[in-house]
Amino acid sequence: PATPSLKVGGLDLDYFSPKEYIIGGTKITGTEYLDKEVLVTLSKLAKGDKVVLPGEATAEAIKTLWAQGLFDDVKLNIEKFVQDTVYFEIEVVERPRLSSIDLKGVRKSEKTAIQEKLNDKTGKIVNDNLYNTTSAIVKKYLLDKGYFFTKINYTTRKDPNSENSVVLEANIDKGHRVKVQHIDFTGNKDFKAAKLRKYLKNPKQFAWWRFWGSGKFSKEKYEENKIKMISKLHEKGYRDAELLKDSIYQFNRKKVNIKMDLYEGKKYYFGKITWAGNAIYTTEILNKVLSIEKGDIFSEDKLDKKINGGGENGGDINSLYTDNGYLTFNIDPVQTKIYNDTVDVEMRIYEGPQYTNNRITLKGNTITNDKVVLREIRTKPGQKFNKSDLIRTVREIGALGNFDESKTVPTPRPNPSDGTVDIEYAVEEKPSDQIELSGGFGGGRIIGTLGLTFNNFSLRNLFNLKAYKPLPKGDGQKLSLRGQTNGKYYQSYSFSFSQPWFGGEKPVSFGVSAFTSLQSSGIGDSSNPNYYKIRLNGVTVSLGRRLNWPDNYFQLSHALSFQQYILQNYPGFKFSTGTSYNFNLSQEISRDSRDSPIYPTSGSFLRFTVQATPPYSLFNKVNYATASDKTKYRFTEYHKWKFDSQWYQRVGGQFVIKAQAQFGFLGSYNSGVGQSPFERFKLGGDGMQGFDFLQGSELIAMRGYANNTVIPVGANASQAQTSGSPIYTKYVLEARYPVIKSQQATAFILAFAEGGNTWDRFNDFNPFNIRRSVGVGARIFLPIFGLLGIDYGYGFDAIPGLPDANKGQFHFSIAQQLGGF
Amino acid sequence: CKSRFEKLRASNDVAKKYQEAIRLYNKRDFSKALVLFEDLSQKYRGREQAEGLNFYYANTLYKLQDYTTARYQFKSFADTYPASKDAEEARYMAAYCYYLESPTFSLDQENTYKAIDALQLFINLYPTSDRAVSAAKYIATLRGKLEDKAFENAKMYLTTGPSNVENYRAAVIALKNAQRDYPDIRYAEEMDFLMIKSQYMYAKNSIPIRQEDRYNEATDLYNEFTANYPKSKFTNDAKQLKSDIESGIAFNKQEMATFAADQAKYMEMLKKTGKIKDTISAKPIKADNTNIKNK
Repeated sequence: PATPSLKVGGLDLDYFSPKEYIIGGTKITGTEYLDKEVLVTLSKLAKGDKVVLPGEATAEAIKTLWAQGLFDDVKLNIEKFVQDTVYFEIEVVERPRLSSIDLKGVRKSEKTAIQEKLNDKTGKIVNDNLYNTTSAIVKKYLLDKGYFFTKINYTTRKDPNSENSVVLEANIDKGHRVKVQHIDFTGNKDFKAAKLRKYLKNPKQFAWWRFWGSGKFSKEKYEENKIKMISKLHEKGYRDAELLKDSIYQFNRKKVNIKMDLYEGKKYYFGKITWAGNAIYTTEILNKVLSIEKGDIFSEDKLDKKINGGGENGGDINSLYTDNGYLTFNIDPVQTKIYNDTVDVEMRIYEGPQYTNNRITLKGNTITNDKVVLREIRTKPGQKFNKSDLIRTVREIGALGNFDESKTVPTPRPNPSDGTVDIEYAVEEKPSDQIELSGGFGGGRIIGTLGLTFNNFSLRNLFNLKAYKPLPKGDGQKLSLRGQTNGKYYQSYSFSFSQPWFGGEKPVSFGVSAFTSLQSSGIGDSSNPNYYKIRLNGVTVSLGRRLNWPDNYFQLSHALSFQQYILQNYPGFKFSTGTSYNFNLSQEISRDSRDSPIYPTSGSFLRFTVQATPPYSLFNKVNYATASDKTKYRFTEYHKWKFDSQWYQRVGGQFVIKAQAQFGFLGSYNSGVGQSPFERFKLGGDGMQGFDFLQGSELIAMRGYANNTVIPVGANASQAQTSGSPIYTKYVLEARYPVIKSQQATAFILAFAEGGNTWDRFNDFNPFNIRRSVGVGARIFLPIFGLLGIDYGYGFDAIPGLPDANKGQFHFSIAQQLGGF
Repeated sequence: CKSRFEKLRASNDVAKKYQEAIRLYNKRDFSKALVLFEDLSQKYRGREQAEGLNFYYANTLYKLQDYTTARYQFKSFADTYPASKDAEEARYMAAYCYYLESPTFSLDQENTYKAIDALQLFINLYPTSDRAVSAAKYIATLRGKLEDKAFENAKMYLTTGPSNVENYRAAVIALKNAQRDYPDIRYAEEMDFLMIKSQYMYAKNSIPIRQEDRYNEATDLYNEFTANYPKSKFTNDAKQLKSDIESGIAFNKQEMATFAADQAKYMEMLKKTGKIKDTISAKPIKADNTNIKNK
């Protein structure tokens, strides 16, 4: 065979006998913008170096130059040999470099998304390859969005900002976003095409009446949904079902057809279910928990749910074991035998040892002290490992409000040698303090508010300057301060403090709060005849504790409260000058199983409150029939009953339904004394506290009606509005949809229907005779500002005497008590 | 009109900037000095003066109490100029910055562990240095912090016992674990005593049938304690506990006897009324799954 050789300039370069040469020089040709010296350096074929020909060095030189990505072509020639000296010539074809791609004909959001995918293209040379890859990326992206017939043509222009660079302009003609005319199925026997289309969900077949919704075709979704459709068939017992082939073809400019070829297979049923490896639980118990009978329609999905469960409530095989210490429990359902239409399943179980909790540690608490979290942890050393407790603990750490719920991660670390498990809870602190700073109109004047809430306060470090960052923090106590004033006319200051584990031994919360406020005419001082004022002072002490019975979601609290009302020439009240005292005790029992305080998606909240004053009229020997109002109301007496129930449920996807019913009743001990002028309910509007605290009224929001306008039927409008009413009821049905769910903010939109009313006498009370409204709104929760809301409601029922009370109403709300009355 | 400092800052006269920065540093105007050092550390990269400059820069950050950045700068100084006369100090300062960043024991101790590692590394590198002595002292302080944490967190279970009986059992386990983790923990004596107390409380609040065993465990702990610490400041309290345990056992025995008698009477009555046949021997008490009496 002929020797492979290369003839250059009459010299043979024989691959079998390479020879060493000295480089006499390297010449670069074909460059326009690039520096020749640099290219020679890059090629490593410098003058004076030695080189073996043929050899590695030349190949390496070409490789290196290619790797720069600057050239369309690189050639290495040997110009000449002079004895043992070689002269190289490197011939390059320089191409302009891409500085950016300018996409035209697409929307801004699409442009950003495509741009991101194209990102690494800049700096490359502009050639056919670039056009092809770019087109492929753009078309793929648009295809996923439903644009099937995209056309792209390119033009280039020089980039004025940098040498030898061009801007590539891609003119995209998206064409129409296609819809689906027909979806046809072949190979289906037991399932009708209509049923299959339903399983597919999206895309939907074109129909003239479907003018709204997802008629548009998204390739991306289609790919997802066709898998879902098949798994739906599996769920129905057709375990062999398969999509053999599917094709999408053009129907016309705006529409495509889809054809799907299915293999349905036959319908299978569960046969014998046997258990292997179970020692702790008998087959009988396991079968009961599994609750799948012989003859049930076969579905792997159902089997999986029964084994691994979905919720934390258990009822599945996995929880049965993992809630009883079997942390390393494992189950493998094996289809042992398939005959005719029956599938026998053997559950192969590995039970493993029963683990006991050992070390419980906390990590990541850079602000909050250990004990604040540790005392809430339900998995305790010495207990059997319990997965439900673990999950519940994560939720309760979240409920403390100091940590990012989504970043609370429990890590169980089993030690198989001694059957113990160490659990580490990793948390991440989040800002939990709130500030309310507002200026607005109230009572026709500018009013300023400053409110501060510290949710992780530490009272014992108040005098320890080292703990200030910027305030003493870390003990999980809550301190809030609020001041509101518009100068002389109105001032209100309040303070509250609460401690979740009073005394440190039991989860008994202790709270103390106080307020003082003043409203006056603002003119002159008390000697002026037109001067009037009302001053309120109040202090409340409360104790609350969590109960373990009937279940551990219950909470019981007691509060003792004292209020003083000092009136001087004050108009519009039962008496104008005098002092009134309200001394009351309230008891509250509540059950809160909501899964999150801000945006609950499941669970409920129930609350029942009784508040009562001593029955002074029984023993104070005042003749109430003849006594003046001033004497009558010196010691105000009443009893008050309130009930609130909220219920949350996730329905289909992200939607959450909230249902709420409230009821309040204010009664008197003695008909001679009459109903209390204090503590009444005012229904309607945004429920925000304004000047209405004056009689200790409770404000109940009801959207679609102006503030305090839902008054009893037949009542004197102005009187009923100022005094409030003793009985109310309210119902809310709300659909919510989350828009943002992140650590920085939670936001959701909502649509609501509400109904509610007030009554003067219990005899008139009719819970079905209500004023109604509907509307939409949005809420955003920002960690530092609290909850901000806006609603638009439309009230259907006119209120006699108050023509502006109903119809369209906007409501703004700030930092309202979450889920409060 | 710009101040002199602003003008200098904007200028390119690096030599003058360097001088001014050092002057400001000596004048203790660290925040201004920092601005210049930051700027210069970029410009002097790879130059001879960079060594002195970077050491000043790290020290300025330290003086400004930005310990996180200072630590980084000290460490990178020591890594870049291992032969420098300041390298030892830089290593030491880097570890010391970790030490300063170690929070109070009741918070996450990640920086404490890192500080111990860094200080130990310093001691290994410069065992004869004067600073090694103070480094060892800091390590002792930090270890003390970890001991405090282990002790307090274990004790918490005893404190919160009234909220949940199982916390008493948890206390015994947590105290044992803390001793295992820190064999020379300085609270060892108190912890042994608290273990008796926790076990006693656990036994006392258990259902009657479990009480005797649990009291006996408490007695074991007591015997161990008196053997280990014949002259403890807790001796009197421990003796009190011992007598409480004894009376607890006595009371429990009586309680169980009464219970058994009642049970026997009830059985007798059932037999008489013919509701139960003689052949069936009734079990006296059924053990409850929870083993614990809810109080």
